[in-house]
Parts: sequence; structure tokens; C-alpha cells
Amino acid sequence: MEADLTQIRLHVLGRVVETARIPAAHETSAALGLTEQEAIDAYRRLHEGRVGSMEPGDPTRFRMLNPFSAVPTPFTVDAGGRSYFGNCVFDALGIISLLGGTGTVNTTCPDCKYAMTLAVSDRRLQRDEGVVHFSVPAAHWWDDIVYT
Amino acid sequence: MLLFRSEEHVELSGKPRGAFLNPEQQWRLSDAWYHDRADPAWRRKTVDEAEAVFTDLGLLGPFWKLRP
Repeated sequence: MEADLTQIRLHVLGRVVETARIPAAHETSAALGLTEQEAIDAYRRLHEGRVGSMEPGDPTRFRMLNPFSAVPTPFTVDAGGRSYFGNCVFDALGIISLLGGTGTVNTTCPDCKYAMTLAVSDRRLQRDEGVVHFSVPAAHWWDDIVYT
Repeated sequence: MLLFRSEEHVELSGKPRGAFLNPEQQWRLSDAWYHDRADPAWRRKTVDEAEAVFTDLGLLGPFWKLRP
């Protein structure tokens, strides 16, 4: 049986929003009445569809479910009354967008560790500093998305 | 995609020079990319749609092209 991918995508995303962590396949299977293999297969399809990226060598866990990161990063996001980790500054601001358009991103300059904050309110950038640097051309972002 | 204190700090970090956005451009790009991610009807942007987002933000040139 092929599980409803949209239902699974929205369930996993909802759990991340509620708990600030990405559920493993066994948690998703238990919540949705699937076998663990069905959940693993769905995770693989979401990975292939670039909804997220699996933890290398572990088909039961996402490393990232964009824009959220499963592991701590230098991009802390406060939005909707919770704190999250974004994969990069693009995704950190994406978390604020997904959660309604109000929140803050705290990070540090990768060169000098200077602390910086971006703040968004009602989908308007209210506080900004620094400059965003993309090192990988757009056509190659998914060649190695963890590096990107 | 990292937030540096300035372009000079990118040079000082030793990272190869890529493309720069100001935070306002990045917010608009992130918002365009993710605002509908929790919508059941969400789907990945096509190449044309993604390139149109870049163009709207003034992100032009080979760095922002998605086709070889």
C-alpha cells in the first residue's frame, strides 16, 4: 500500500511546528496507523521530492525537513512561541514565513562570530544587518544540500 | 546561505566569492519560497516558477539560472 504522501508531509510538518523536532519514521507510523516500512517509504519519497533530506545512512530520520533542521545549527529562530533551528539564513527566515510572518533569527558572522539578529513582523523585515552570501549557484543547491 | 557582517568578512573567511543578497531580498526570497509550505496543495516550484521568483527580486545572471 502506498501511503498518502500529502497527509504524511503535513503530519510531519505539523509535528515539527508543535514540538520543534522532526519525528522519526516509527513515530509517524504509530501516529498515522502505518507500518514502519510504509513510513520509511514515504520519507524516501519526500526526500526524492526535495521536501527534505534524510540523515545519511538512516532511512528513518530526516536531517532536514525544509526549512527546519533536525540538528542544532547557527540559525536559531524564535517564532510562534517556540524556538527552532533553520538550515541556513534562507531557511531560518523561511520558518518565520511558514509560521505566519513574525519572528526573529539569531545567528553569528561565520568569520568573526559577531552576533546578528533579523526580525520580521507581519511579513515586514523590521531589523536587519549584515549581508547574505550564497556560495553555491542555484542550479547546484541540491547537489549537496547539507553543504549548501 | 550564511549571514556575514559584511562582504569584507566573506573575503576574510576565505570562502569563495558567490552571490550577495541584502536581508530584505533574502526575506522576500524566503517568504516566496516557504509561505505556502503548510498548504495541502503545495508542490515544488517548477524551474520556470523558481527563476521567475529570482527575476522578481533582481537576482539575474548565470548564478541564478536553473538550467545548464
